[in-house]
Amino acid sequence: MTRASLQPADTPQAVTGVQLMMGLGHQEAKGFWADAWSQVLRRRGAVFGLAWVAVVAFFAVFAPVLASGHPLLMWQRTPDGSWGELSSPLVRYLHASDVLLLLGGVVALPWILVPWTARRSTRAWSLILSAVQAGFTVVLARAVGGIFAADDAQAWMRDFEQSAAFPWMIASGVAALVAVPAMLIGPLPRRWMNVAIALLVAIVAASAISAKWREPLERFDYWARAAQGEIKTVYTIIPFSPNQGETLLFTKPPGTRVGDGLPDDAVTPSDAAKVYLLGTDAFGQDVLSQILHACRLSISIGLVSTSIAVLIGITMGALMGYFGGWVDLLLYRVVEIVMAVPLLFLLIVAAAVLPRNTYVMMAIIGCFTWTGAARFTRAEFMKLRNQDFVQSAKAVGLPLRSILYKHMLPNGVTPVLVDASFAIAVAILIEANLSFLGLGPADQASWGKLLTSATGEAGSFLPWLAIFPGGAIFLTVLSYNLIGEALRDAIDPKLKKARV
Amino acid sequence: MLSYIARRLLLMIPTLIGITFLVFMLIALSPGGIGATLRAAGGQMEATSAAIRAAYIEDRYGLDAPAPVQYARWLRRISPIKFGTRDQVTLANERISPPRGLEPPLLWDWFADELPEPDEPQPVVWEPGATPEQRDRTYRRASNAYAQARSEYIATNATYEQELGRIAPDLGIEHPRTPKGRLREGAFREAGRPQASEEWRVVAHAAEAALEEYREALTARAQLIATFEAKPYREAGLAIIPGVLSVASPDFGVSFSKSRPVVELVAVALPVTLLINLIAVPIIYFVSIPMGMLAAVRRGTSFDALSGALFIGLFSFPTVLAGVLALGFLASNQYLGAFPVSGLHDKAADTFTFLPSTGPDGVWSRGYLLDTLWHVCLPVLCLVYTGFAVLSKQTRAAMLDNFNADYVRTAKAKGVADRDVIFRHVFRNSLLPLITIFVAIFPAMLSGSVIIEKIFSVPGMGSLVLDAINNRDRELVLATTLMIGIVNLLALLLADILYALADPRITYG
Repeated sequence: MTRASLQPADTPQAVTGVQLMMGLGHQEAKGFWADAWSQVLRRRGAVFGLAWVAVVAFFAVFAPVLASGHPLLMWQRTPDGSWGELSSPLVRYLHASDVLLLLGGVVALPWILVPWTARRSTRAWSLILSAVQAGFTVVLARAVGGIFAADDAQAWMRDFEQSAAFPWMIASGVAALVAVPAMLIGPLPRRWMNVAIALLVAIVAASAISAKWREPLERFDYWARAAQGEIKTVYTIIPFSPNQGETLLFTKPPGTRVGDGLPDDAVTPSDAAKVYLLGTDAFGQDVLSQILHACRLSISIGLVSTSIAVLIGITMGALMGYFGGWVDLLLYRVVEIVMAVPLLFLLIVAAAVLPRNTYVMMAIIGCFTWTGAARFTRAEFMKLRNQDFVQSAKAVGLPLRSILYKHMLPNGVTPVLVDASFAIAVAILIEANLSFLGLGPADQASWGKLLTSATGEAGSFLPWLAIFPGGAIFLTVLSYNLIGEALRDAIDPKLKKARV
Repeated sequence: MLSYIARRLLLMIPTLIGITFLVFMLIALSPGGIGATLRAAGGQMEATSAAIRAAYIEDRYGLDAPAPVQYARWLRRISPIKFGTRDQVTLANERISPPRGLEPPLLWDWFADELPEPDEPQPVVWEPGATPEQRDRTYRRASNAYAQARSEYIATNATYEQELGRIAPDLGIEHPRTPKGRLREGAFREAGRPQASEEWRVVAHAAEAALEEYREALTARAQLIATFEAKPYREAGLAIIPGVLSVASPDFGVSFSKSRPVVELVAVALPVTLLINLIAVPIIYFVSIPMGMLAAVRRGTSFDALSGALFIGLFSFPTVLAGVLALGFLASNQYLGAFPVSGLHDKAADTFTFLPSTGPDGVWSRGYLLDTLWHVCLPVLCLVYTGFAVLSKQTRAAMLDNFNADYVRTAKAKGVADRDVIFRHVFRNSLLPLITIFVAIFPAMLSGSVIIEKIFSVPGMGSLVLDAINNRDRELVLATTLMIGIVNLLALLLADILYALADPRITYG
């Protein structure tokens, strides 16, 4: 009887040693991470955390179509009085990043769940890579466009910027540039698959960017136009945009109807019946819509800034730990410089003086929080560098890059990755703190920013502006901490022993 | 051990220079640059008075120099070892140096063959028995005369530059000014000196006036230098080699935005922050060590699970939310209104006695001490709860580590009482990590205070730092960075030393 001929149904209840030697009833050993993962899933707290993060991620992707002050469908009255010309302002006002995220969000689940030869984890990596590729394309295209549209740009650059060909030329140029590395480092088993996916992402990103290049100025005059009988509208589930302020409806408690603040002749009865479920802030903007739209900031700040921090930290820590000596002494001074003053203080300085946008925020959080990862990697590499497999890799004459990243890193990266979950929680807390101090990204809904207007100068207090966004921050931070704790318990053998 | 401490202290110097340089460059490279709000304040003035104001500020704080030079000057001022002429300390306790150089008018060689020479300064000789006040008056007179002459020169120079800028299009210069509003000298030199014309005569006239004022300003400056060299005030520090090398206490300078010496501002703000933190730290230790011990002893029970859940919840609770909720529900009159909304003292706190007392009219007064405690209640509450979580989790983990150690099994096996095992064996050995955790808590609390001070309007270091950064106040930001850095690094060092003292197995070579 060969091992291959055994069916699971044949496996007996109790397995004797002889049977085991025959290959009967053995269980497939799980990999290190798969084992850790299954242990994490056994913890109720971690499952709750994963579920909440999934909810936040869902809204991060779908908020623009779930909460918008632009009608989903709009009919315009023609001169002869009939309803003609159907349009969708909601789709028209979507940004390029919204479109790409929506497409990605729709494709993601089937892509991972459909049975296929490539392993699921490989496909997940490929998805992450595609997301990074699309993200880089959008950010770089905007940055390049900004150079051409700058105040001190040459005349020919501005003329070029105004031309009709500019958006698609810039978009496709940047997309092609970003696609090259994505093709080379793709994780799928065949080279042609990686190339195909990178090209597909590049084409989709380029067309989304060029189609949405010139963003129309947002105007929210639908209520007035509907009241005058010009248009007929159908809204999405939450009919408010985060930046849609209504001066007559500021600081209204949850449950306020639009009709409570606006005169009857300014809105149609159906518009007047719309409810601000979680109230409005000091500018008359819907709180629920802002909370949903801010999910994207929260998710991306956490992931991107932690990735930056982990990348810098691993590189610095690897160099310090592997070389030791004066390299260590010198680089450790850099670590000490960043650690010399409390993190929040440094971040306040950086956030106060640098431009206020999301990308800068991610970059500065990443650039000042890498010290933890660097110290973990340094300690691990110091332990590893004298071990036999490293010595033999050195003796064989492998290049340094290969020794550091192929041989040592997989053995020494675990504490950094476990810590990353806590680091995401810290990054989210930091963003909330900075936004609370008025140093957060401008023109962007943020949970911390909402908290700011909860208490007024004169001691007034608007509880719904504290509880709902604050609760969202709390739950998100709690989720990452719970996941991190479960992951650490699953991986750290010393604590595991102590728990028994 | 001593050599280890000495080495650590020496390594602190490059670290502190690094962190102040990093912070300084961040501010210098930011839009607006150093002292942005200060310069913007002159926006509503006429061109000449704005120029005088800007020139005064730039001269006083050295803002016209390139950023690295400004940083080097700051380093020189705070360095305890100084080279060259010693500073002098005025009666108002401000340090003064000789006046800086004065730029001649732009393109002066188009209007004069050589730069004007200043008049010879009158010798300054103190009468025997001259009081410090008399010397002060002499120096101030010279200083005011120079300020006057200098501002007149700057005003005429501004007029001249305005005229020059006006004829620039005739010379074919498209962009005569830099983005900062200064004339580009190179562009004019390239265009060459124009032919005499009606407009050019106006410019030349203004230039000659500027040159004349320049000469007078130089004269006043020479007089001021002569007065300074006659030493009207006592010199700062101690001379090691007279005129070359001296030692003096660091000079943190004067804050731009508040026009007060930085040391005074910090001396007011630091005790406030320290008060809140020093109340908070013992509370954290007294609450969380017993909690952590109890959780460790009863591991696996519902108490352990519950306290674990509670702590991770507290740890995840954002300080901003805690502060806002406490302020809203406990302090605001809309709800409970039981605590003060802002500040550290009652408005009438100056009239309070220190301890609670009943006045002559039979009215009970809570006194200064109780009043302060009542005010710091909520800030301290918001500061401590994160610490509870961190410290009790550490205590629990440290205790559990030791529970599994062989010596504990031995002690149990030979029949030592449970209580003794826990307190005498496990707890004493678990104390070590709790020493180092102080280092993790302390900086976190310092930055936590920024948020809490903002929410509760407490005038501590956090508020000072926020103001300073928003005003791009170079002196204040650098001084606070340095101080926070020193406190932080010393705390790290202290923890390492305590660690070695508590555990004889640890030695530092």
